[in-house]
Amino acid sequence: MARQMTNLFDSSKCTACRGCFSACKNSNQMPALFDRSYFGGPGNGTYDSKDGDTDAETLTMIRFNETEDPVDGVRWNFLKWQCMHCVDPICLKVCPKGAYTKLDWGCTFHDEEKCIGCQYCTYACPFGIPKYRKRTDTVTKCTLCYERVAEGLQPACAQTCAPGAIKFGYRDELLEEARERVKYLRVNGFPRATIYGETELGTGTNKLYILTDTPDKFGLPVKPQIEGNTIFWQNWVQPYFGWLIPIALGASALSFVTSRVIANKNKEYEGHAEGGHE
Amino acid sequence: MQWIPEYRDDVPRVERFNLLARSTHWIHTVTFLLCLFTGLALFLRADWLAVIFGGFRGAGLVHRIAAVVMTVTILTAMVIGVKGVIAWLKDLLRFGMNDIGFLLKFPAEFLGLKVKIPPQTRFNGGEKMNSMVTPTMVFLLMISGWIIWWPSIWWPGLVRASYWIHDIAMILATIMVSMHAYLGSFHPGSGESFWGMWKGTVRADWAQHHHTIWYDETYGEKAQAEAE
Ligand code: HEM
Ligand code: SF4
Ligand code: SF4
Ligand code: SF4
Repeated sequence: MARQMTNLFDSSKCTACRGCFSACKNSNQMPALFDRSYFGGPGNGTYDSKDGDTDAETLTMIRFNETEDPVDGVRWNFLKWQCMHCVDPICLKVCPKGAYTKLDWGCTFHDEEKCIGCQYCTYACPFGIPKYRKRTDTVTKCTLCYERVAEGLQPACAQTCAPGAIKFGYRDELLEEARERVKYLRVNGFPRATIYGETELGTGTNKLYILTDTPDKFGLPVKPQIEGNTIFWQNWVQPYFGWLIPIALGASALSFVTSRVIANKNKEYEGHAEGGHE
Repeated sequence: MQWIPEYRDDVPRVERFNLLARSTHWIHTVTFLLCLFTGLALFLRADWLAVIFGGFRGAGLVHRIAAVVMTVTILTAMVIGVKGVIAWLKDLLRFGMNDIGFLLKFPAEFLGLKVKIPPQTRFNGGEKMNSMVTPTMVFLLMISGWIIWWPSIWWPGLVRASYWIHDIAMILATIMVSMHAYLGSFHPGSGESFWGMWKGTVRADWAQHHHTIWYDETYGEKAQAEAE
């Protein structure tokens, strides 16, 4: 396995300018959607978009999480939201078309050419990331700008981020940096600062976050997990239950042979035409 | 070798399934098999199966067209033929000792041995099993299938459950269908069954022999006398 590469997002540096959002749209040639507000959806009217989500034409966005604390007062927690590029991705496992592959440098790559838009992955993903796009009848998600990375460039979002909140590099180096940063933040006004993505889901996500507060204050699942329904379907029904069908076919074939052999032995094959059993 | 008994119209015959029942049965057969093979392409991740339908997108389209035809046919037939559906359900509920006797002795008959089977109603014990399991599974397939098709309007947990319900119902229905297809055609002990569903009538002597209770109640002397 090649050395893992990824994006590190530092929430303490993000100013919510949404440059990454524009750069991503631009780089992936995705239209702006005027029928929805990225500040929380129609009718919400506030800057609180903690329930906002990516969509088929929006691979990343900044979520605004307003928190209130008796000590710290009101705070805005900004989170860049996109595919987490899980180390052991469930989307890859459930896809009947093998549209997902894990690139050797860590990107969970989705091949739109192979995708048939069944959305199994959408409902299996612990973050609900892949989104259905009607015009192509496929799902879409963050590509980690694999084409740019292959050319030695940074992902568009990382390159554009003016305050340096998104940094692309080797995962091990970024993790070291994140640990140092969290140490610093903890003694400088953010005692609950933490890293997200190192061990989540057991094996971790390739994508890393530095959070200034606990994950729930960023609208992230504290313990992300794969649903029991998905595990039962993939680990039990998919691999084993199907074998019951050949057993039924085999029994019929066996009966086809034995019933005719027995009938011929008894020289009563005419019995068939006359009505079978007595 | 003879596959199924020949159809004879020189002997007395009685009606077993009317036109509505027969057309519903065969439309369901075709759409079920289309759904099955297009669905299996995904379940088995089998490119060779998808190729038959022009790739996975083609298979998905055939799956959906067959699903619509199946759903519409079944629902329409249940409305038009509500009387027949009720009669059929009533017969299923007449599950008695004779059906248990049938099921106990059936494995021997299945292999071709001669056994003495107690008198049966319109549907024998095995047919009753099939009539209960297959339609239940097909209903589960239809409900879960429509949910999988339009996932965003449902509660996500229901969509996730629908995936394995669709698969398990497919597996159980396919087991029943493959046994049923064989027993309704090539199995020597089943005799005239096939013609009952194909032409609508079966030989009277076969009906009397295989479905004694049904025959006596429907075409027997007492029933005839009542009809007159
Ligand atoms: C009658 C209504 C039905 C509907 C609306 C329906 C719908 C669907 C849909 C939307 C899918 C997802 C795959 C795709 O996007 O192409 C699917 C998959 C599937 N369907 Fe159906 N279906 C129906 C009936 C059936 C029947 C009768 C069978 C089999 C006898 C069947 C077997 C399957 C299988 C095996 C899969 C693949 C599951 C997997 O990938 O694990 N379906 N169905
Ligand atoms: S976040 Fe979802 S879509 Fe992204 S790699 Fe993980 S499981 Fe796949
Ligand atoms: S929507 Fe596409 S990528 Fe997702 S599981 Fe289906 S075929 Fe695979
Ligand atoms: S890595 Fe690329 S695709 Fe992913 S959010 Fe950044 S710009 Fe968008």
